[in-house]
Amino acid sequence: MTDTAPALDRLRGDAPPRNHDARTIAALTANPGCARRGLMDAAGVDKDAVARHLGFPAPFGQSQFAITRGNGFEQQVKENGCAELLTLLRERAGLDVAEVAYDDLEVVAGGEGRELRHARTRALLGRALDGDAGTLFDHPLLKLDIAGQPAYLEPDVIAFQLAGRFHVVEIKSFAVIDGQAEPEQVAAAARQAAVYVLALRRLVAELGHDPARVSHEVFLVCPENFSNRPTATALDVRPQLATVERQLARLTRVDRLVEALPDGLTFALGEELPETVRAVEARYAPECMASCEMAIFCRDEARACGATGVLGRSVRDDLGGVDSVAAALELADGTREAPPELAELAGQLRTAARLRAEALQLAAAGGVA
Amino acid sequence: MSVLTSLAQVQAAAAGVAQPVATVRHCHLAAAPLVMVPLKMAGEAAAPLAVMLGSDRAAPELLAVPQPRNRDLRFAFAAEFAKLVLEHVAANVGAAESLGEGKDGEERVRYTEAPQILLPNRGGVGFLRLLGRSTRFRRTEGPYAVEPAVPALGRWLTWYADRHDRPGSSLLLTMTETLRLHWATGQSSLEDGNLAALVGWIDPPDGLDGPAAARRAEDPVASPPAGPATDPTFDNEVLAPAIAAYDGAGRDPRAEERVRDALRGQLAPTWDLMWRSVDLLRTLPEGGSVARRWERDRDGFTWFHRSFAESLPQPRRDIAVRAARRLHDLERAQDAYEAQRAFDDPLVMIEHRLNGLAFGGVVVGGDPARLDESGKRPKLRPHLLVATGDPVRLDPGATVVNAARPGLKGRVLEVGADGVLVELTGGMGRGLVPAAGSVPQVGERVVFTSLTEGSFGPARFPEAEDTPWTHGGPPAEYVPTDEDAQEDWS
Amino acid sequence: MTLEADALEARIGELRAAVRRSMAAGDRATARRLRAELREAERSWDAAVLGGGPPARPGPQVREQALRALDVLGAPAAPRLVAAVHAALHGGDITGSRLANLRRDEERAFRSAPHARAHYVCAALTADLLAPARGLLTVGSWPLERRVVGRLSARTDFLTAAIRLAGHPRHGEPAVQRLLWRFAANIPGASGGALGTVDAAALAAAAQAELDVHLGADRRERAAAAARAARLGDAERLFGHRLRALRAASGGLPHDPSDGERR
Repeated sequence: MTDTAPALDRLRGDAPPRNHDARTIAALTANPGCARRGLMDAAGVDKDAVARHLGFPAPFGQSQFAITRGNGFEQQVKENGCAELLTLLRERAGLDVAEVAYDDLEVVAGGEGRELRHARTRALLGRALDGDAGTLFDHPLLKLDIAGQPAYLEPDVIAFQLAGRFHVVEIKSFAVIDGQAEPEQVAAAARQAAVYVLALRRLVAELGHDPARVSHEVFLVCPENFSNRPTATALDVRPQLATVERQLARLTRVDRLVEALPDGLTFALGEELPETVRAVEARYAPECMASCEMAIFCRDEARACGATGVLGRSVRDDLGGVDSVAAALELADGTREAPPELAELAGQLRTAARLRAEALQLAAAGGVA
Repeated sequence: MSVLTSLAQVQAAAAGVAQPVATVRHCHLAAAPLVMVPLKMAGEAAAPLAVMLGSDRAAPELLAVPQPRNRDLRFAFAAEFAKLVLEHVAANVGAAESLGEGKDGEERVRYTEAPQILLPNRGGVGFLRLLGRSTRFRRTEGPYAVEPAVPALGRWLTWYADRHDRPGSSLLLTMTETLRLHWATGQSSLEDGNLAALVGWIDPPDGLDGPAAARRAEDPVASPPAGPATDPTFDNEVLAPAIAAYDGAGRDPRAEERVRDALRGQLAPTWDLMWRSVDLLRTLPEGGSVARRWERDRDGFTWFHRSFAESLPQPRRDIAVRAARRLHDLERAQDAYEAQRAFDDPLVMIEHRLNGLAFGGVVVGGDPARLDESGKRPKLRPHLLVATGDPVRLDPGATVVNAARPGLKGRVLEVGADGVLVELTGGMGRGLVPAAGSVPQVGERVVFTSLTEGSFGPARFPEAEDTPWTHGGPPAEYVPTDEDAQEDWS
Repeated sequence: MTLEADALEARIGELRAAVRRSMAAGDRATARRLRAELREAERSWDAAVLGGGPPARPGPQVREQALRALDVLGAPAAPRLVAAVHAALHGGDITGSRLANLRRDEERAFRSAPHARAHYVCAALTADLLAPARGLLTVGSWPLERRVVGRLSARTDFLTAAIRLAGHPRHGEPAVQRLLWRFAANIPGASGGALGTVDAAALAAAAQAELDVHLGADRRERAAAAARAARLGDAERLFGHRLRALRAASGGLPHDPSDGERR
């Protein structure tokens, strides 16, 4: 890994490595097969800045109403020593009445410096592991190594201690209605929480304790039905943990990609940027729009090449993985010879094309097939 | 998604314009549907912001909540919304056709019309569902009382959202799903979810092609999103200041008008798109089985409307038996709907021809007057030889029907190099000579298929009282509780 | 609608679209500049069409309201709770942002004229570092043991506040009942009155029962911290001890050479 580090630094150019948070780390797990993304993430390139420089900015911005609602709900759950959260955890997780200790890690001695907060987080969590009491830890600051760079994770999460084990708590403002919430929102929260669990486990291990003392069970706190009353749901994030760990391991294995690149290539924002980006192959699919800032650029590139990937993964699969629109059409009209593994598909395409043309012609003529 | 639809999509991508995947319209379109474009407040479960609705494209009504955090204003909105929706429902309760006496001796009727609601996209259905859930349990007396129209609205919205799930129903249609049923674009289904982009591919404005029209549609400033979610930059730069001004001006009507204007600007383009979509769909002739499915819809509406007064609001969760029955019904409805569309539309039937469950071609030979004299009495059993290039996967003995006229039944005898030999077994009239025109002639194009409308019979489900303990035992009678009505609306 | 208003509207429309486009592209600098122009145009439109509204009048002294509410609560409390108590007993709002600035304003006032007022709205001090605790207000004249907060203090202060409010002579009023309900819902054994009402006696008893569990440990921690806090300079004792380096870097407050020296 240390071999590639200087190469990756050069790739990134003179820009500082991009700041990750749990959401962007969770997004790293999408589209593992994309070399362009893999390399940019490993080098810590700011994909947002690159996309903007290339003229394809990613849509930006969150509604202030949503932000206010989210902050307001979080504040409400946490106010007065997390009174509402304590009530929930007592009911749902069997927290004992005596377990009410509250430690604020958001601000240390009137300052919000990251190193200070992280040091204090380590200290307090270390003491808790050693048997000292401590129940709720508000806004702990965790660190996670992403491709050789430290990422500071500041969850709107509280790790609480129950029977010697830490549980991550995520407060989200989407509603749970009649016991159910939007699956994509729950999935995103689970992925994010898994990143926190991972970071917390690594910290616990560094402090010389068993990482299993961080539970894989996280608590999701959401408004209930149409009110502001919170409700807590336990989530098992083992599957998401495995995915994140796999993807982080993959980030370190970019040696081959780096070797294959011409010397002097860099993602620095400059004239050669388009050339650099195009030199590394992408694997665009519509799912990229939800997880990668380069999506609009890659979509435009894929469209210009007439790639079938822009139509979606299932369409591409239906077409037997045929990469280009032109190739698919040539198979369908018989002007392209199909390789043996595509023979059956080509036959289907030809029949389909013939039948469509026939049916449309008859319909235009007012006839009946 | 299949090879067929994927082919249509690559064809569209190459042509720069959407390609038809249907030759007839597979849904009912009312003469005056209620078009509805809702907007919801960001960050909330189901807080309505505004809705533009009406059944006359020249006269949309705009309902708006100038301060969505104000409970009174929200309920005033709900009451007005209820009034308009209930009016539309009532306008469709007019004439009824008599269906004779039912088993219990009571007269059965079916209304000749049913109210149809059109929404831009699936997000709108989810929003109506949540709005229905948040209003149907409200009490009309005591603390937190609301006007009686509000819980009524909730029950209707819930009913409509449930009907949307039923395959083949046209009571609640979303334009994105309905248009995609009839056209394939050269963009992904994700992009098709943007109504403006979808319509841009189907009917690009002068001088533009599909992709260019879609690009323009993705700019939220030029082309406001169809909702229910608003664009964040609109929220932050336009709406929030307008709402703040409304708060600051002490409910001044001119400040309210500023909020309404901002919302109208977001809704009006989608309103126009909705009616353009209706126009596009009307260019297609109605499919043969659409009327039959609309009859089922009218039955449902008749039943729900007539039993409304004595019924309770729909419970939060289905009881076990009802859930299983509903799932079973939905599966049967899906099969029937797919089969009906194939029979109505040769372009859809191609799907089954590619799967080998249907075949088509020209009649090249046979014996149109053949009699089978092997049994006690002679039977009319014509033979047809259909030359086809389709990949037939039917075994000899398989029962088939004529796609254009399903009454004509037959059996596959042999699938050979020169075609498929079919023995006709019914639908040619009573006598030993086929009725005129009932047997396809040599040179005619025919399509035969093994598809039938509905593959399994009604399920045998226990009565609710006998729900087995594995499914929670017999359900308690649903009685609306204080808790239901007491829910806060944040 | 005058021509002026029409022209303003057109300009507002253009500016809005431009701001939205720059924000969507992530170009904050341009957006900020355009937004400033937009606000000007909107203000002119408001003035032209809505007529200038009366300027927002500052209400009665926020600090007096806060001091009164804290007096009722008798324990360190967050601005939102202070505002809620004030609203329940006296009606009307103190907006949260004004309260949030209050502590900073009080510190400035104290440093420029120490002890000029009888009572100050102050910070609570964290037991370990004697730093200003985030989001808490206290009254300067309270005994130090009450003004320092340890790990269990957030909970014990919540329970203390519940007991004090339940014992308030006006506890039966609807506004106070609503406030009491928010406590009762989060204290085991406290809820159970008729729908919409809170049994004040039951609430006080339940709060006391839980308080008894935590009180010993809490008092010990606070007593030890109070002893150390007593050795702080006046300003730091009231407003908390921040790490020197950070304070100098923030540059907001005048540097008082006397405080922090005495330890």
